Amino acid sequence: MIDLVSYSLAGVMLLLTFWLLVVRLVRGAVNAYALQSLVLACVCLAAYLQSGLLHLLVLAIATAVIKAGLIPIVIRRQVSGTVYDKRETEYHVGFPTALLLGAALSLAGFVGAARLPLVRYIFGEPILRIAMAVILLGLFTTVARRDAVMQLTGLLVAENGLLLLGLVMGAGLPLLIDFALFLDVLVGAVVMGFLIARMHATVSTTDTSELTRLRG
Amino acid sequence: MSDQTLLLGLLALPLAGAGLSWFIRPVGVLHTLVAVTHLAVLALALVLIAGLLAGGHPQAFGNWLYLDDLSGVVLLIVAGVGMTAAVYSIGYLHHELRDGAVAPGEVKRYYTLLHVFSFTMLASAVSGNLGVLWTAVAATTIASAPLVDFYGSREPLEAAWKYILLTTAGSMVALLGFLILYQAGVHVLGQSYDFSYPVLGPVAARLPAAATSAAFLLVLVGFGTKAGLAPMHTWLPDAHSQAPSPICALLSGVELNCAMLALFRVFSLTAPSAGAAHLRLELLVFGILSVLIAVIFLVTQKDFKRLLAYSSIEHMGLVTVGLGVGVPLAVFGSLLQMVNHALTKSLMFFATGNLLLRFRTREIGAIGGLARTMPATAALVLCGAFAIAGAPPFNLFLSEFSIVGAAAVSRQWVPALVVAVLLVIGFIAIVAPFNRMVFGGGNPGEPVAPAEINPLALVPSYLTLAFVLMLGVWIPGPLSDLVKGAVRVVLP
Repeated sequence: MIDLVSYSLAGVMLLLTFWLLVVRLVRGAVNAYALQSLVLACVCLAAYLQSGLLHLLVLAIATAVIKAGLIPIVIRRQVSGTVYDKRETEYHVGFPTALLLGAALSLAGFVGAARLPLVRYIFGEPILRIAMAVILLGLFTTVARRDAVMQLTGLLVAENGLLLLGLVMGAGLPLLIDFALFLDVLVGAVVMGFLIARMHATVSTTDTSELTRLRG
Repeated sequence: MSDQTLLLGLLALPLAGAGLSWFIRPVGVLHTLVAVTHLAVLALALVLIAGLLAGGHPQAFGNWLYLDDLSGVVLLIVAGVGMTAAVYSIGYLHHELRDGAVAPGEVKRYYTLLHVFSFTMLASAVSGNLGVLWTAVAATTIASAPLVDFYGSREPLEAAWKYILLTTAGSMVALLGFLILYQAGVHVLGQSYDFSYPVLGPVAARLPAAATSAAFLLVLVGFGTKAGLAPMHTWLPDAHSQAPSPICALLSGVELNCAMLALFRVFSLTAPSAGAAHLRLELLVFGILSVLIAVIFLVTQKDFKRLLAYSSIEHMGLVTVGLGVGVPLAVFGSLLQMVNHALTKSLMFFATGNLLLRFRTREIGAIGGLARTMPATAALVLCGAFAIAGAPPFNLFLSEFSIVGAAAVSRQWVPALVVAVLLVIGFIAIVAPFNRMVFGGGNPGEPVAPAEINPLALVPSYLTLAFVLMLGVWIPGPLSDLVKGAVRVVLP
């Protein structure tokens, strides 16, 4: 039963990643990330119920507070309203090409994950495959999107995928490492949000294809 | 003092420095503070390394902080170049304040971030837990990106963004590798174990091979991005040319080595099970490609700071090739190359930093006649150029010769020949432009009266030059012991 619940939750995480792939508003992407983090917190909770490991409960709460709450708020505060609400964002490649590449990458994640010889601890293989697909799609968003806020969101989504993978594989990792990772992500998001705010102040856009002066 | 106190002090000093810098207004006090903390860090690091050479293994909190010969080499680099860069920062910022290029209020921000940056690099060097290692290496980017953006105009901003985005994405790929490595350990050590080198090292040969070879490739690609290996290097010439010169010295000379440390560490843990042969092939491919691409861009370069950045890619490529060749002499050369690169590259960023302060241009063609207009700096530029190009009697010649020589002796003709040819082309591409800047004719509108920046902008550079020359002809016993010990860690 709890397996079924957590598999469905992970499935929702993947759907939200697909949403990130097609969404056109910055606001939509950040909301998708916040929602995905909330679902991830639920997966942590399910893992806690399944295993009884107390640090997974702490992880669930931290995920909900930091990733679903704090980081989206930080991004919203740093990014000016004009960018946040109105921007239509694009890919470096055409939209259909981007979708095809995204589909290919999720397939690669699904197949690749099954080939890795890994011990599955709390959850089984389906979550492993989903986590791989989420990581790859997040990284794809980072390199293929043109908007800086979208690129940041891609990194954060990839990190969610890593945490999901960590749940499957590294449940024995000390909690302190998870927190170091959390701090890294939080501070990283603040610094990148700061750079995005500066970008908007300097070149009046967060479209990184405007930033191409450095060459050779 | 116990090892635990020393290790904690090493990390607490820069953190305290960062906290204090944030609240101090007088620029003079800030200057003094940065020199004091970094000198103290160097002193603690030397004591720790002395303990290491006496046969101890300093550690704290179980294995959270841990020092062996491999991390000792990197600690030496971080603390040593950290100190010279801190002192050079004083001279550099003093001049920038005088010229009005930096506002007095910005100095506080610079020193706070510099201390945090030093902290993350020291933490990478002394971490014993692989999770801590990953976090520290990933955090070096986050601490230094705002420094790359220090001048705040359009180009530094572009560089900082590319830098933080690509290297963080790389760190995520590396994290995937670390997670898989943890899983590999689960097969031997059980579900929950201490994810540190002293625990994982002894059982390295029994880890499942498929998992360890996947883990190594992911860490190679992920932290290879951070170490500036081609083809993931595209952020590096931007970040390493746009940051303030003392920061460039740290980014190029030190930070790249922190990522390399993680790569060497993971190699030592995965090679016994995955089979050194195919890991070495992967290293050779990335290493040779990096040297090749660096040399191509060196030949066509018109901006002297970008030239130095591409030279860093070349040097990191050589470090990777050395590990890829894999015989003890090559790995010795590779670790020595890390030390030598840190010294020579920081020297060059200090020296060209002085040029930038005086002439306010990074264009090679716009500067000439340095031998006349800035004689003390010109001597540094010329020696430094020959040094980074790998000419004897400078230190990089020894390490590069060890790597190429070891490849030839072990009959790995392809890396030996390709790298040797590329090094010769790279030599000309580096020396020719700097030679023109020193001895070529000056431009009409240029200031011609001889003048230097200030003593603090020269002293750390000459100190570095002294070590560059010394290590070219003589490697002191303790250093050689340390590097040999590190070779034994990498090739158990």
